[in-house]
Amino acid sequence: MADAATTGHDHDERSFFTRWFMSTNHKDIGILYLFTAGFVGLISVAFTVYMRMELMEPGVQYMCAEGARFLGGIGAEDCSPNGHLWNVMITYHGILMMFFVVIPALFGGFGNYFMPLMIGAPDMAFPRLNNLSYWMYVAGVSLGVASMLSPGGNGQLGSGVGWVLYAPLSTREAGVSMDFAIFAVHVSGASSILGAINIITTFLNMRAPGMTLHKTPLFPWSIFITAWLILLSLPVLAGAITMLLTDRNFNTGFFTPANGGDPVLYQHLLWFFGHPEVYMIIVPGFGIISHVIATFSKKPIFGYLPMVYAMVAIGALGFVVWAHHMYTVGMTLNQQAYFMVATMVIAVPTGIKIFSWIATMWQGSITFKTPMLFAIGFLFVFTVGGVTGIVLAQAGIDRAYHDTYYVVAHFHYVMSLGAVFCIFAGTYYWIGKMSGRQYPEFWGKVHFWLFFIGTNITFFPQHFLGRQGMPRRYIDYPDAFALWNWWSSIGAFIAFASFLLFIGIVFYTIFAGRKIEENAYWGEHAETLEWLLPNPPPEHTFEELPTQEMWDRQPHH
Amino acid sequence: MPVETTRSAKGAPEDFGALFHEEHGTPRLVLTLRPHKSLTPPGFVWFIGLTAGLMALPLIAVLGRPVLWGVLPFVLIAIAAIWWGLKRSWSDMELHEELVIWDGWMRLVHNAPRKPPQVWEANPYWVRVRRIPEGGKVPDYVTMKAEGREVEIGAFLAPSERRDLHALLEREMCPNR
Repeated sequence: MADAATTGHDHDERSFFTRWFMSTNHKDIGILYLFTAGFVGLISVAFTVYMRMELMEPGVQYMCAEGARFLGGIGAEDCSPNGHLWNVMITYHGILMMFFVVIPALFGGFGNYFMPLMIGAPDMAFPRLNNLSYWMYVAGVSLGVASMLSPGGNGQLGSGVGWVLYAPLSTREAGVSMDFAIFAVHVSGASSILGAINIITTFLNMRAPGMTLHKTPLFPWSIFITAWLILLSLPVLAGAITMLLTDRNFNTGFFTPANGGDPVLYQHLLWFFGHPEVYMIIVPGFGIISHVIATFSKKPIFGYLPMVYAMVAIGALGFVVWAHHMYTVGMTLNQQAYFMVATMVIAVPTGIKIFSWIATMWQGSITFKTPMLFAIGFLFVFTVGGVTGIVLAQAGIDRAYHDTYYVVAHFHYVMSLGAVFCIFAGTYYWIGKMSGRQYPEFWGKVHFWLFFIGTNITFFPQHFLGRQGMPRRYIDYPDAFALWNWWSSIGAFIAFASFLLFIGIVFYTIFAGRKIEENAYWGEHAETLEWLLPNPPPEHTFEELPTQEMWDRQPHH
Repeated sequence: MPVETTRSAKGAPEDFGALFHEEHGTPRLVLTLRPHKSLTPPGFVWFIGLTAGLMALPLIAVLGRPVLWGVLPFVLIAIAAIWWGLKRSWSDMELHEELVIWDGWMRLVHNAPRKPPQVWEANPYWVRVRRIPEGGKVPDYVTMKAEGREVEIGAFLAPSERRDLHALLEREMCPNR
């Protein structure tokens, strides 16, 4: 190899199949992740629309045992409730959103595309492993959808055990559907761990010369912390669901009480993974929001180092609070007191972040472009969700709120709204960079307002329902809860309409958007390395490592 | 800086003891070319240590129960995998080239990861250094040719670094031409 080779290699035009199916390029894989996550998201959102249709009025109108009604047969008599179908809807909405939509979009999509660019790396450390991660994710999605369509409990299709797959419900669920679901989580977990190893290695070993850990931009930091959380917690989940699998199929007794197992231990293991999981969902969003707010306030981010260590602290605390999801399983008073205090401590680093974002905007010259609107919207909804989180952290109050719509409202405010606002902020912020074309600003703003109003109408009334005592995960409810359920459904329809508008905006932008020539089209305060590249960036970037002057610019000085 | 240059002044053989050549004496120039890596060995220890420590946390809870044996393998696999990943990334960057120039002799050693080193030796007087701006394996491809064999140097460097390297080689190897 040391012998000279002067034949050269011109970049021949690769076929569509070669480019997108055999890609080892981090940018192409990032785009694949984003589109796949968007598609799965559409499926998963469609379930919510169906569920909100069902919950709009008391009684069961659509999910009938006589056959599910969607557009036809509405209003026909003799509809007896099909609880299994309802359970299947909530289960797959949860599994798809948790494993196959938000993490792949933020971590797989934006992380893959922009983390190497921002640290000045030519590509990921292991490009072929990256391709493997993506296709294992696709395989996981396929298994998840197969699980929904294969024979499950109650003689029907799919499993209705909830996304947490609690034993003994999951060990008893009949049919192969449950096994498929476990395999789906396995495969997606393996995909995430491989992706995490790739990202950690890239972040640690491939930062540009001079870019010490205390100078690395916040988005790569957030992706690194997410990857670390994945690496630490997913093996535990993999172990737990493997034991579920053997309990189901080989009659072992890890979690089955009949065989001497401990179902509460399954809950501990699940939430040891599950609580870090919610931070995996939101932490990459923190990174995106930091860049968006700094760019559109025309100021550098306030308190860079506290922002980094707040993310580290949130990640670390995320591992020691899991049992606040299970106050009602019968822990000792001391255990509950510990988990309660530890949970409330998380408000400190989160508060540091929220206040630093506000301080970044303070006396900044703010322009309200769509990404900034989504970022400010994120601050609002995430704070609302965080405050209800503090309420729910109280072990005593949780006795009343456990498994009510208050919990549903809380976690949708932080995840459905918080994380999804981050996805939209990132999409509008970077779509010009990724596609070379700019989105229509007017329609972006319409999308923001529809989505903001729609989701708040959906989830804010659910606080009221929770306080009235409406339990979650039921197909029907007494008339007393009718008013706010009706409003909640109206909000869901508005939010769904805005999602369809978003899909339209994305495709309009890709095919007919205005071409943008300027590299840093959001102005000089977008100062990370991706803004030095043309739109879209060439296939190979930073083969010549960037120098410190390229990324350590401080235009405010 | 991925290119380290070491020059010897006359009569300072202690720095170059290992490179002393029976026939040609002390080298006058040693160049070491290596790719950039940002993870330090203490960084590796910290990362693996913290990861293993945090991963041990859930295991404490299941000590003495059969569930331990369900979780432990996955935890160990994950630690082994990140260990392997970081080491592999390092070894991918072990790639380096060393050029030693004596008066009247020179040697280029190309060390690729997981492969035996490749050696090329020549008399600098007869070596032709070429820089191929376009059409080479990489932009500003630098090669050296002597005794009928043309070898590349610094193909893994940045183009600007290769241009500097080419200028340096021109200066150093053909001072009298």
